Amino acid sequence: MKRREFLRNSLLGTAGLTVLSGLANSAEAAATAKAPLKLTILHTNDMHSRIEPFPDNGGQWAGLGGMARRAALIKDIRSKEANVLLLDSGDIFQGTPYFNFFGGELEYKLMSQMGYDASTLGNHDFDNGLEGLQRQLPNATFPFLIANYDFSKTPLAGRFAPYKVFEKQGIRIGVFGLGIELAGLVADKNFGQTVYLDPVTTAKEMAARLRGPERCDLVICLSHLGYKYENAKLDDRKLAAQVSGIDLILGGHTHTFMDAPEPIASPDGHATLINQVGWSGINLGRLDYEFSVKNKRAGLASASVVPVRAAC
Amino acid sequence: MRRSGFRLSASLFLALATGCQRAAYAPTAHFAPVTSQPVGKTQAEDPAVAALIAPYHDKVVAQMTEVLGTAPAGLVKAPGENPLSNFVADLQRVRASKELKEPVALGVMTNGGLRAGFAPGPVTLGSVFELMPFENELVVLDAPGPVVQQLFDYAAHIKMAVSGATYTVTFDGMPKDIRIGGQPFDVNDARTYPIAISDYLATGGDNMVFFKSIVPRHTNVLLRTAIADYIRDLTKAGQPVAARIEGRVKAN
Repeated sequence: MKRREFLRNSLLGTAGLTVLSGLANSAEAAATAKAPLKLTILHTNDMHSRIEPFPDNGGQWAGLGGMARRAALIKDIRSKEANVLLLDSGDIFQGTPYFNFFGGELEYKLMSQMGYDASTLGNHDFDNGLEGLQRQLPNATFPFLIANYDFSKTPLAGRFAPYKVFEKQGIRIGVFGLGIELAGLVADKNFGQTVYLDPVTTAKEMAARLRGPERCDLVICLSHLGYKYENAKLDDRKLAAQVSGIDLILGGHTHTFMDAPEPIASPDGHATLINQVGWSGINLGRLDYEFSVKNKRAGLASASVVPVRAAC
Repeated sequence: MRRSGFRLSASLFLALATGCQRAAYAPTAHFAPVTSQPVGKTQAEDPAVAALIAPYHDKVVAQMTEVLGTAPAGLVKAPGENPLSNFVADLQRVRASKELKEPVALGVMTNGGLRAGFAPGPVTLGSVFELMPFENELVVLDAPGPVVQQLFDYAAHIKMAVSGATYTVTFDGMPKDIRIGGQPFDVNDARTYPIAISDYLATGGDNMVFFKSIVPRHTNVLLRTAIADYIRDLTKAGQPVAARIEGRVKAN
């Protein structure tokens, strides 16, 4: 009884009510039907050319991160999970001499080797200009999804899709990307004639498309807008509150370390979860979804932040 | 069946409830997948990825340890006129003038804009990265007389040297006797003075708000690149990495 009361209190205090009840439904359905379909989402943001762990020099992040370790961790998870999506929310470039010397070549090659499924573009991914970005694209075997930058008047016209639909055991997962306003943040010459489109309008179009004609069971937004600003600037929380139909926003830009995904009620009452896992590959984000076989409706099963630490 | 459903959702409630209240790397729920473990001391590297990194790592180390030149004496940063700021502000003018193919009268670098000086001995590319870790671009501002006056007012308060100029600080911290290229400065001259400066300072960094109204001309050269190239040129010409306090700022 005591436990029930605690649970009820927790439930009342949580904005993610619909997600939770969704899970209860799918779990019950699963219990009466076959084993549920599972999807594991792994994600990073703002890796900032941190190829190797932070130097072990007593600094704040000393010894943390490192792409070879992350690769091993991802490989381990893949060996245990049938359905894995590996996603990134931008700012792959800039931060260590690896970027200064090789222009992002190694970052893209390593992400390709790890089997990243998609990324979006962050402001620092423009640091070597449109040409610098174009030069590195052949090193990436994964797509960059960006729905609110119009590159049609630039040398990168036609190089980026707004979204991609992934299919795992019949589950359709729609992933689209949103970037931050470049003017004032990136030198004009570095983004050239790239046109920034309103993220809210774009996100509404994406959600309608992915929920409608694309028949997606889960819709994920890779966002480089930033988690939260006190002023009027658009952030992931404001986006979630204004746009229905997005299940999950994987954010970036503000280097926010979130202990758990944050549910925000969207206009139609469903909760959109937001997650962001710091920066520099210190952590690997992980969210597990379960889908009932009958209606493939998603319920968040669990989420965790997996720190990438030194083997010492 | 209902019972198992309840248990499943119950553990999720617990997971979210506790997850919102504390920082925890531990698995958050009873039914979290066994793979959802925090990666602690046991996290090994993927050998294939480590092998892909290795040659790049070696190149980075080799490049960072490349000796660009030699400093017979250390170039340290210090308040007021100092060898390090003189060295960098001077080379800013040299490079900007080369890029724009015209004389650049003034060069500005603040003490705070430089992170670490050069120790006596070999100067490596790594030393230049430590001096200038920022991705600042060398730009040129065409400043009219009144803005130049504001620059010297700012400089006089902290006795900061300005490359290409000399001045005297009065007892109450104001600039007088300002000479640019040896010529007396007249705030009322209807002309502009090109200033070689980082884009950071040009856009109001270090409180140089008086520059914000001027649209900078780009050189498309990173300040770090300009510093490294200049030291390479010195070495080619058989010259050391050296600068001194020249009396660009006089007291009283």
